[in-house]
Amino acid sequence: MERKKIFSYFIGLMFALLLFGLLNLNLLQGAKFRRLSDGNCIRLISQQGSRGNILDRNGELIVGNKISYDVMILPQDLSQVDRALSAVSRILGVETGELKIAFKKNFVSSSLPTTVAGNIELKKAIMLEEYKVEEPSIIIAPKPLRYYPYGSLACHVIGYVNEIDRWRLTKLEDYGYKTKDIVGFGGVEEKYDYYLRQEEGGLSVEVNHRGKFTRVLGFAPPRDGKDIQLTLDLGIQKIAEENLSGRKGSVILMDPQSGSILALANYPNFNPAIFVNKRSTLIAGLFNNSDAPLINRAISSSYPPASVFKVVVASAGLELKKINLSTHFLCAGATMVGSRKFSCWDVHGPQDIIAGIAHSCDVFFYKTGLLLGGQNIHDYALKLGLGRPAGFELPYEASGFIPSPLWRKINKFQNWFDGDTANLSIGQGECLVSPLQATGMMAVFANRGYLPVPYIIKAVGGLELEAKKKRLTPVAFRKSTFETLREGLREVVSDAKGTAYILSGLPVAVAGKTGTAQVSHGLTHAWFVGFFPYDKPKYVICVFLENGGPGHAASAVAKRIIEAMNSQGLLQ
Amino acid sequence: MRNSFLKILTIAIFISILGVLTIYSSTYQKEGSLWQDIYKRQILWIAIGLVCFFFISGFNYRKLWDASYFIYSLALFFLFLVFCLGIIRLGAQRWLKIAWFNFQPSEFAKLAIIIFLARYFSRKSASDISLLSGKFGIFRGLVLPFIFVAIPMFLVIEQPDLGSGLMLLLAFVSLLYLTNVRLKYIFILLISLILPLPFLWHFLRDYQKDRLLVFINPNIDPLGAGYTVIQSRIAIGSGGLLGKGWLSGTQSQLYFLPESHTDFIFATFSEQWGFLGSLLLICMYYLIIRQGFMIAQRTQDSFGKLLAYGISLLLALQVFINIAMNMGLAPVVGLPLPLLSYGGSSVLVTFVALGILVNIDRTRAVF
Repeated sequence: MERKKIFSYFIGLMFALLLFGLLNLNLLQGAKFRRLSDGNCIRLISQQGSRGNILDRNGELIVGNKISYDVMILPQDLSQVDRALSAVSRILGVETGELKIAFKKNFVSSSLPTTVAGNIELKKAIMLEEYKVEEPSIIIAPKPLRYYPYGSLACHVIGYVNEIDRWRLTKLEDYGYKTKDIVGFGGVEEKYDYYLRQEEGGLSVEVNHRGKFTRVLGFAPPRDGKDIQLTLDLGIQKIAEENLSGRKGSVILMDPQSGSILALANYPNFNPAIFVNKRSTLIAGLFNNSDAPLINRAISSSYPPASVFKVVVASAGLELKKINLSTHFLCAGATMVGSRKFSCWDVHGPQDIIAGIAHSCDVFFYKTGLLLGGQNIHDYALKLGLGRPAGFELPYEASGFIPSPLWRKINKFQNWFDGDTANLSIGQGECLVSPLQATGMMAVFANRGYLPVPYIIKAVGGLELEAKKKRLTPVAFRKSTFETLREGLREVVSDAKGTAYILSGLPVAVAGKTGTAQVSHGLTHAWFVGFFPYDKPKYVICVFLENGGPGHAASAVAKRIIEAMNSQGLLQ
Repeated sequence: MRNSFLKILTIAIFISILGVLTIYSSTYQKEGSLWQDIYKRQILWIAIGLVCFFFISGFNYRKLWDASYFIYSLALFFLFLVFCLGIIRLGAQRWLKIAWFNFQPSEFAKLAIIIFLARYFSRKSASDISLLSGKFGIFRGLVLPFIFVAIPMFLVIEQPDLGSGLMLLLAFVSLLYLTNVRLKYIFILLISLILPLPFLWHFLRDYQKDRLLVFINPNIDPLGAGYTVIQSRIAIGSGGLLGKGWLSGTQSQLYFLPESHTDFIFATFSEQWGFLGSLLLICMYYLIIRQGFMIAQRTQDSFGKLLAYGISLLLALQVFINIAMNMGLAPVVGLPLPLLSYGGSSVLVTFVALGILVNIDRTRAVF
């Protein structure tokens, strides 16, 4: 009997083992197996919504979408595919072999439609759609594509769209981005991709072990991306681009009262549509071009500000009471700093501050700068928004650079000499400023005391953001300082010997400052930064021409822009 | 007395009904009248099985004592027939096509061997009516019965049906243990079986080797030999506590799980009825086997006793190996789950075996 007892215990043990196995599979690991089971039989056929539009401040379309049609084939069985392909080839006039290659390239699984031809004409799409009765495996899938009605207009502000790259994917995976997703590169498309981005919808279908469709489980409608309204004014943007065209450089127009960007143009530029059409030779050309057409020069590049920087030195001198309105320096064409001779671009005779600004007299500013010292100039430059990023919304903003004795000591273990101060006083040397920073600096004098944070987004998805975007940092200068500087900047234009006298004939009173930056090789960079109308400024304008010659050239461009704005009634 | 009859009958019918429901759910989406009719055929087999059950349960099992050599020879004959047909057709052959159905002799052989062994080990000495088996020497206690088992076992394994072959061997070892044959002999048998295993490895067919390797790690060949076990585990596990519901099992109905109505029917069942349903099913099997053991214990007649043990054992081993293999706890060998899996021979033999079991309990009072 002993053996029988042991035996029945043994059988009991076997059943206990079964129960343990059941417990482990169903309850402990149940969720995991449920997921695996769903993964076995549920497939998603995605449908894309359209990416958000980009509009100008008046609601006019800058970038939109147009529907393109893709021909897809649901490869349920092979003979059917061949028949469908020959039908498609007849209607599209493409060889069957070509379609077969495309089919093989794009094939994923027999439950997922495979694209054989992309971007076909509407007429042919309709013809194929009619053919569906005979060949139900043909699917015409409408797909929204980025559409640029004005070609390259505002391309640097907008950026372009392309397939997501590896680096971005690793960063964005957690936010639901997937391989082959179309995302923005550069500009608003990149920075606001999360809002512009459409939400993927689609069918979830059940398939069997061969991947064949059995039934539809559900449908989630795709959702379009949010529209983004920019502060750009399409009319002004067009004028800026037309007048810049052909010259390397950039133009910025900003509202000094708020900091909203009305126009931002760069040249050379590019047509974002080539990324949509996947014109690989043109794309390669863009990346290889030594003039770097993809760079947004206005915000991502910085240059020596030259005489434009004198505005900083002048305001620092007045604020720190190193000079006043009655201070006169004699310009004899050059001055000695230590044992070195620093020359002026002309012989100006006795100059006070107003004349010094108007004539852009170097000697006046060498002397003012030496009274101030390098550190003071650096500090005031930072107060006016130079040497640090302006906090603009678009990606890849350059911070520029303003040297200072302290920086020199810490980073280079070198001393700062008076010659460095003199160089800095006329915006040469290591000093670098981006056109956007120069624009912001000028806005302080236009609005008499506020450094605006430039912005370009007016509304996202219909939600007005301007009230939040408008951030004005008070610049605590005395009122008299602003008035003196403004007077000087006006004289630049109105004085017959002013460096931007060319702008005096305009129907609107312009004030501003020119700059001619010496570069190590090639022509000088040309600057004109100003504002108009003088009394109640509505616009700050910055024209920068890379290797564009003397400041006069930039003034001439500014003149044409303001003239065109006037003739189109934009100044009223 | 009638108690065990009713209990066994009720449980058997209950499990059979579950089986029909599960077979229906795993085949109703398949096209073709052959698939559509499978559950009807199963119902027919169950009906035939029930008729046999009632007939056998009223048929004195002692007559099997006399017929046991005949039954054994019959089983051997069928197996040999299958073996010859296999040679002629150059391929796997497990069935004999008789009229409109396929008869699987290995199912019948399992029962036949049990009857034969029960007869062999319950012989009594003429002098003092004590069982001879305790006094058997190594030849009569081990070698001779092993030869009797080894012949059909070889034929079954050659079919090839490794599962049923192993079943025969396990049943033999268990019965040896139960019949007071000296433990020493059993150890000798086990050792002589285990030692040549590494050599026997070379005699296994490739797919059998794959199955054994896959048992150790199913992921070495997830789309080949390991596929069934992986899918079966997914099916069982995805049932969760309450299951996906009848006719809603995606694993079995969308064909991810092969053999979902035969060897892997437990996975199909568990996917649809979940943990609770599977628990109930396993309990049902346990109850029926417990009944068998209780009958064996009650029976004074040593032939009846051994027969009852053997039949319960046969059920227990098949249920255990099948369910364990569904869960990936045992290597995949082709064994049906009694009463639940589709298959006429299996259903019929199981009902006949249960009929004998009931009859043992019924006849007990007569002696």
